[in-house]
Amino acid sequence: MKVLIVIPAYNEQEAIKHTLTSLTQLGPDYEVIVVDDGSRDRTGEVVRAFHKRYPELKIHLVALPRNRGIGAAVQTGYLFAREKGGFEYVVQFDGDGQHDATAIPNLVQTCSDQKLDLCVGSRFLAGGQDNFRSTATRRLGISFFAALISWLSGVKVTDPTSGFRCCGPRAWRAFADRYPDDYPEPEALYWCARNRLAIGEIPVRMFERAGGVSSIRLSSGFYYMFKVTLAILVDRIRKQEKTR
Amino acid sequence: MTSTLLAALLNTDLFRVNAETMMLIGSAIAFLATLRWVRSREMREKYAVMWLLVGSLLLFCGLFPHVIMRFADQAQLSYPSAVLFIALAIIYLFSLSVSLSLSRQHRISTRLLQEIAILKYDLEQLRAASTTPVSQDSANEHA
Repeated sequence: MKVLIVIPAYNEQEAIKHTLTSLTQLGPDYEVIVVDDGSRDRTGEVVRAFHKRYPELKIHLVALPRNRGIGAAVQTGYLFAREKGGFEYVVQFDGDGQHDATAIPNLVQTCSDQKLDLCVGSRFLAGGQDNFRSTATRRLGISFFAALISWLSGVKVTDPTSGFRCCGPRAWRAFADRYPDDYPEPEALYWCARNRLAIGEIPVRMFERAGGVSSIRLSSGFYYMFKVTLAILVDRIRKQEKTR
Repeated sequence: MTSTLLAALLNTDLFRVNAETMMLIGSAIAFLATLRWVRSREMREKYAVMWLLVGSLLLFCGLFPHVIMRFADQAQLSYPSAVLFIALAIIYLFSLSVSLSLSRQHRISTRLLQEIAILKYDLEQLRAASTTPVSQDSANEHA
């Protein structure tokens, strides 16, 4: 069962080495693609140097010529999986060191055992840990989206903004065709729920960033809330789509 | 003479009611058109946010025309709501077409960038494979 781990990276030179090191413990079934989203720092060089030092971890570095946002970067990973073939599951994993690499096998196994199309790593399920403790405003936003998605789709979700998730073939093939641009996680999750893809969650730990800065700041928080809410509500009135 | 006639026409109650009604209808169309284009993914939510705000402003002006009248009186404009409506309608149509076009172009250019990135990766792999010296084992296999 081959698994591709997609790491979107924008100006992550400080954290990416730590992230890749945490993945070296995974077995030969796992391959990693780092999508350098037009970084202005040395992210690409750091990844290349790491690959030379740890050739046992199969790393693909795909560099977008211009910064296009996290949605386009993650979708490049799904396109890569479709183009190269042979992958069963695609895992989205942050490049900033917040995600726990030891949870990846469990995430994939849960997807496989429960025949899920999308399994999200949740820090708010019993057993999960939000080790760096998000701000109160951010937690309020997450609760709002969790309630909105659960209410509209009837599928209970607890951590819709988590970018730590495993996609089965139905989900990642659909995402290769279309994926939201900015702040994609809640919208992509709702899209799966609305189109009756099987969704699950497992508890995970999340850590403080190993370096760099978050792309969502307080100033853009209100825009984020409004844009994502609008995207979800508009998606609600779209026709159901067929997935392969 | 013409301007006097136009001013007289604009001052009739009939036109005043029509202008306000048209503003209401215009704002409803603005809302529906924006939702339709976002739904069909022809317009990005980013632009829809702006157009929904413009629609809300139009709706506000249509529902509460006295606000704009008061503003007009203070600014010493003779009949601003009709002028405002026409100006907004023209700007709206023009800018809406720009937003639609931008959304389409953004989608196309993103896909092109993604394909370029993957092709560049393939090219690097091919180059690396062609410059890697053939090992003794594989040389024997070929022999």
